[in-house]
Amino acid sequence: MASTACFVIVSKNDIPIYEAEVGSAPKKEDLAYHHQFILHAALDVVQDLAWTTNAMFLRSVDRFNDLVVSVYVTAGHTRFMLLHDSRSEDGIKSFFQEIFLNPLYLPGSRIASSHFDTKVRALARKYL
Amino acid sequence: FMRLAYLIGYGVEIEKSPVNSASLSMLSWPKPATWPSIPPDSSAEVMAKEKTILQAKAREKLFDIQRKPLPLEPSSLLREANRRRAFLSVGNLSELYDSVDGSGLGAHSKLSPNKSSSNLMTRTMSGPATSETSLPVDRPMRLSEIHVAAEHALKQTISDPDFMTSLSSPEEFESRYMELTKGAADNYHRSWWKRHGVVLDGEIAAIFFKHGNYDLAAKSYEKVCALYSAEGWEELLADVLPDLAECQKILKDEAGYLASCVKLLSLESSLFSSKERQAFQSEVVRLAHSEMRHPVPLDVSSLITFAGNPAPPLELCDGDPGTLSVAVWSGFPDDITLESLSLRLSAFSSADEGLKAIRSTDARVLVPGRNIITFDIPPQKPGSYVLGALTGQIGKLSFRSHGFSQDGPVDTDEFMSFEKPTRPVLKVRKPRALVDITPAVSSALLMNELQWIGLIVKPIDYSLKGGILHIDAGAELKIEESQMIEIESYRSDGEHSSPIDASKVLSRPTDTGRVEKVPIENGKIKLPDWASDVTTLVWFPVRAINDTVPKGTSPASPQKHSIVDGMRMIALKLEFGAFHNQIFERTIAVHFTNPFHVSTRVVDKCNDGTLLLQVILHSEVKATLHVKDVSLDLQAGFEHLGKGDGRPTSSLFPLVIAPSSKAGILFVIRLSGTKDLDELEQADSMLHIKYGISGDRATGAHSPVPVKPDDSEELLFKISLKLKRPVLDPCLAVGFLPFSTDCLRVGQLVNMKWRVERLKDLEEASLSDDEILYQVDANPQNWMVAGRKSGHISFSEAQGSRIEIAVTCVPLVSGYVHPPQLGLPDVGDANISCNPAGPHLVCVLPPTLSTSYCIPA
Repeated sequence: MASTACFVIVSKNDIPIYEAEVGSAPKKEDLAYHHQFILHAALDVVQDLAWTTNAMFLRSVDRFNDLVVSVYVTAGHTRFMLLHDSRSEDGIKSFFQEIFLNPLYLPGSRIASSHFDTKVRALARKYL
Repeated sequence: FMRLAYLIGYGVEIEKSPVNSASLSMLSWPKPATWPSIPPDSSAEVMAKEKTILQAKAREKLFDIQRKPLPLEPSSLLREANRRRAFLSVGNLSELYDSVDGSGLGAHSKLSPNKSSSNLMTRTMSGPATSETSLPVDRPMRLSEIHVAAEHALKQTISDPDFMTSLSSPEEFESRYMELTKGAADNYHRSWWKRHGVVLDGEIAAIFFKHGNYDLAAKSYEKVCALYSAEGWEELLADVLPDLAECQKILKDEAGYLASCVKLLSLESSLFSSKERQAFQSEVVRLAHSEMRHPVPLDVSSLITFAGNPAPPLELCDGDPGTLSVAVWSGFPDDITLESLSLRLSAFSSADEGLKAIRSTDARVLVPGRNIITFDIPPQKPGSYVLGALTGQIGKLSFRSHGFSQDGPVDTDEFMSFEKPTRPVLKVRKPRALVDITPAVSSALLMNELQWIGLIVKPIDYSLKGGILHIDAGAELKIEESQMIEIESYRSDGEHSSPIDASKVLSRPTDTGRVEKVPIENGKIKLPDWASDVTTLVWFPVRAINDTVPKGTSPASPQKHSIVDGMRMIALKLEFGAFHNQIFERTIAVHFTNPFHVSTRVVDKCNDGTLLLQVILHSEVKATLHVKDVSLDLQAGFEHLGKGDGRPTSSLFPLVIAPSSKAGILFVIRLSGTKDLDELEQADSMLHIKYGISGDRATGAHSPVPVKPDDSEELLFKISLKLKRPVLDPCLAVGFLPFSTDCLRVGQLVNMKWRVERLKDLEEASLSDDEILYQVDANPQNWMVAGRKSGHISFSEAQGSRIEIAVTCVPLVSGYVHPPQLGLPDVGDANISCNPAGPHLVCVLPPTLSTSYCIPA
């Protein structure tokens, strides 16, 4: 399990619709700020990269010191972004794919379902 | 660059923003083999550095927002630096720095008492160091010393003079930092990494702010806030927006400041403490009540949201007002006073929100959370309406909210707050019939008597409470206002005002047979409250007036009255409705009639000149008529026989005539002689009928309403009859006696005989002459009259006397020819009866064959 991980789902309008700290490290407020900020800034990179490749899974699109941002883009241009410290990438890819197949979701709206939240955390524990 | 500057001590200049914190806190310290130590004679510098450290204070944020400052260090510098000093072991370190606070300001430390002594001088460092030229090598460095040491070390290693300049003083550092940041930001923007660019704009803004260049700072902050707000990254926005608000406040940009405060309130409530949110709200309220130079509207769509009732929509009839209750949620942390609140409804089918806003009561206080507000809705046009926008005033500022929310339990987890609700909250029905007033009785009522007219007042799914019925009688109809109006509940099966039968199932036992008497004033009746929801019968007394005397009919003068004569119009108007604006108008026609229609005929005429006159009474009403007495005042020219009191021959009274049937009465009369023809022409007989009526007002004509207590139930009806003397009044009969021979031949003499008979005595007849002139008329081409053509006859004056007149004629042509006629020129045709009548044509045979007569063709 990654010690630091922050998972955000961003809709195609660049609005975050879901966020969760799924790291195992104790949550620190300032770290949360960092994560938000880094992921937001990483959107710039993603938007460049997303159009250049057909692949869904863009690996580490950005590095920030020792944190890595990995992104998975869906066909509807929804981005699953994971901020983590360097870890195995296969786990991350599987994590994204499981989440992708687990919608509980209405396009465009914020995800507030606690069920989804539980599932995400469970998957994170499993793969990261 | 920033890391190095930090090491030198310029860290206080560096804004503790997320970007700086993220960069620096993840950037590890440089790792020299040993940390450089302080050069000698640097105590002055050390002191200067101490001073700057102590003077540095955290920038106070607006609204008293307290946040833990973000770190710029990956780990404590103090610790790191001292760790890297050669002489201190790790074990010592941990003892020494148990209580070190890694925030970077002047640190205090205590030595634990059981420290092994090896040339270690123990000191508590609580303030500026006393001047010492040399430092014992085993004392840990203070922060200021670390900075000085780093500066010196760098001075020796950095070769680039420009670089060195930029590290030489805080101002230099700052200007270089600004330059680099601006350059980076520009490049990011140019390469469309706008988020990176905008973040650096935020840093630039912080520097502008520090130098008091609020205008430029605000511009940059606005860019940052705009991006975060547009993309909905609220945590990041919560960090920067207070800074923007501060700039706006300093710049006295009231509109901007207000918008920022509202935005701060609209962010997720978990991002700020409730005290901070209350501070935002009080700022908004303060500004709203102050005199703003340019008042701006507030968009509080996420702070004040509303929803309609989950219940079915309010249904109103066209033209009626109503009240609508709406749930309004306030996202403000405290109670907020609204100077006014209005709701706009928009018609369901059209896109325009053209409806007038509906005001609620003035000045109300919204508590945080759910509030229920009722709006009084004035009458609206028919249609379906949905909730539009909520508008109102806070202080002097108007606000508008489009925020819809779902009342009650949310059935899905995902809900877009800006979806328009499509469920209507108000339905105004198209104008429809709300009430119906029909006459209760269709058959005719008695003319010239006081009768009850019934109206069935039926509300159709609408309350008639407070209704006023106006009755306007038309011409020749008078409402008797001295009488009370009777209102009773109506049962359509006809069982009204019947006693309650315990065996019957009654739907509304309390209303059965309820009768109330109300007064009528100026034609207005107030409906009682109990009548507002039930069908009622309203009885009011009227008298139809007809001053003309009715005329009877006979075979000689047939009926020519029309139904319109008995019709009377009543204009009804009912004013009702919750707003007294519903009006129902109807004009009803009521029929009145005389109780009888009378016709006469002569049933028999006897030889002695008496006439049996039958007077037939036709009942015109649906009620039983009791004829008590009848008398006939004969006109001139006629007289009664018998008792002479004008009564019928037999006494068969009281005569009961069933509804719509007839009865006959016989009079014996005869002609009386008068000479005055004019009098004869204009005279009328008058029939007087005394009768009574028993009928039900609900069926038709009935016994008149007693106005005075001693009104008798006996009614009088007068009708005029015109008896005409016979047109033919023969006093003489002229009869043709048969021919003596069967066949008449041309040229053969024929004796034609007439007999004149007196039918009446000479005094009675209208003739006065004793002698009567006679004349024989014959066509001279067909007949030759051999004898006197005219002459006088006189014969006895007594009735029945006869005389014969004979004239000899010769037919001249053969065939069927008109015979000669005897006429009495001086006697009017009406007085002659041709009895037996003469032949119309006679057959004349051709002459016997004879050569004597040759008639030219």
